[in-house]
Amino acid sequence: MHHAHIDKFAYLDSPIHRLDARVKLVATVVFTVFVLLLPRQGVSVLLCYAIWPFALLVLGNVPIRFVLRHILIVSPFIAVLALAMPFYSQAPVSIAFGPFAWTTTSGWLRCAAIMGKFFVTMALLIALVSTTRFADLLAAMEKMGMPAVLVMQLGFLYRYIFVLIDRAHHMLRARAGRRLRYLGPKRELATAGAMVGSLLMHSIDTAGRVNIAMEARGFDGQFRTIRRMKMAGRDLIFAAIFVFVILLLHTVIRPAMR
Amino acid sequence: MANELLSVPVAAGTIFIAGGGLAAVCRKAKQTLTNEKLPLMGVLGAFVFAAQMVNFQLPLMPGTSGHMVGAVLLAIVLGPHAGAIVMSSIVIIQCLVFQDGGLLALGCNIINMALVPTYIGYYVFRLFSGDGLGRGGMYTGSIVACVVAMEAGALLVPIEAAVSGVLLVPFTTFLYTMLGVHLLVGLIEGVVTAFVLEYLRDVRPQILTGGLAGEGRMSTIAVYVTLLISALILGAGLSLVASSNPDGLEWSYKERPDQPQFRPAVGNDSQVVAAADRLQDRFAPMPDYSVRASEHAETEVGGDRTGGPWAGWTSFAGVFGSLLTMAVVWGIARMLRHRPASRVPA
Repeated sequence: MHHAHIDKFAYLDSPIHRLDARVKLVATVVFTVFVLLLPRQGVSVLLCYAIWPFALLVLGNVPIRFVLRHILIVSPFIAVLALAMPFYSQAPVSIAFGPFAWTTTSGWLRCAAIMGKFFVTMALLIALVSTTRFADLLAAMEKMGMPAVLVMQLGFLYRYIFVLIDRAHHMLRARAGRRLRYLGPKRELATAGAMVGSLLMHSIDTAGRVNIAMEARGFDGQFRTIRRMKMAGRDLIFAAIFVFVILLLHTVIRPAMR
Repeated sequence: MANELLSVPVAAGTIFIAGGGLAAVCRKAKQTLTNEKLPLMGVLGAFVFAAQMVNFQLPLMPGTSGHMVGAVLLAIVLGPHAGAIVMSSIVIIQCLVFQDGGLLALGCNIINMALVPTYIGYYVFRLFSGDGLGRGGMYTGSIVACVVAMEAGALLVPIEAAVSGVLLVPFTTFLYTMLGVHLLVGLIEGVVTAFVLEYLRDVRPQILTGGLAGEGRMSTIAVYVTLLISALILGAGLSLVASSNPDGLEWSYKERPDQPQFRPAVGNDSQVVAAADRLQDRFAPMPDYSVRASEHAETEVGGDRTGGPWAGWTSFAGVFGSLLTMAVVWGIARMLRHRPASRVPA
């Protein structure tokens, strides 16, 4: 269960990588909730909250430039909505920031707050998945009560995504080599439909072969893994640090920054 | 849907609904699925990702290209239960592996993009095509099913955002934009789905008739009851949350301080409504601040209150303190990184 392009950082080794996946998953969810609880126009306090994902990423040896590029790639939907905000709220707001003071509108503040929250929560999510192997994350989710059918489904899906994406690339190259001009809407859509259809047939055949191979090895509808999940001392230390940080941010820094 | 457009109660509520729905579907699927279906579902989930790579030029819009989403196709080929599980797993993978959509928005995304489109799409398609493989029924069925399924999912996004009240964009504008865009998306999706089905019918019809989807169908009554109950739960839950912190929705019709000549589109001056408003003001868990008050409150954000001798300095200190802390963390990490044990080939 490994592909070089996406989760290469999950296979490194660092203090963060060695933590139990359950602790990291719960910490990520809790921290995200606290970020969303921040006021809708508070901007500068977000930078204090950004310290936590930043620390995880840096201690986990994940390059910050990779993280920033990845966040930019997934940002268009939220950016469009955030940039629409200034048009709908023109109330002037005066801002004082250290020796500087200027006036802007509340729409721009909300826009900045939304983008800031987006960056913090995305950086946190990337910190989780690039310091945790997907198999461990799945095991953690199963331990925490996710239905076994869904866990198995996710495992298979992750295993075969890249196989089938490679196959799709072959088909796209074949089409590019044969189609020399625009064929008109009907032919174009029919060609795409045929490609998807043949990809579907190929997938079903692949699944059949996988099934035969698994039956031959005694698969009875249940995965058995060698890896045991066990909480260690470092997980408790991490949890304690996390609780301390979140309490500090929520009860001391957040009121002070208002 | 993204984390930042949701308030915490809405996120929690939708995660609860999505989790409950998914658990029910999984239990249902467990009764009807055989072991050889498990690899099939997994591989078909991966197939949807690969199918999204197959792009095509859009008619009437030169220079742009589209790809299919695949929810309705999956539901037609696998049946609604397995289709819903596969689509949900795709949404989860998109969130965790490709970081598309946030962790707390996962509930919304599972409802909007997996549960609603697969079930609605499947039953609308069956309504038109029946069990046969007639060409007309297949085309109209898949186009109508895709449009309805896409619009149903798209309809939920502005509702969830409005109930959360984070977004300032008026509800109706957002709604019409979403519905308009997804009408187009649904039409194209429907046409491509029809072409895929026609190809499969010509080349390997047993995929469509051979009982991949045949097992595990619910009775029609069960479907309607499920839909009704989920609509009631959703409506009740959302209205509870809505009464406690309205913002975007209410803002769109109450008054517009920036435009004094604005006339509310929806007005109701009756005594009952006024009394209900007073009642709500008194008992609402988080009483609603008036629009004007909120505009005043906004002077204190970004930095701090503009009055007072310390104006702006705490936020100044906070920002620079944060940057300093990050620098320290970075320095510590660099020192740790030089240990040979932490070097592992990528």
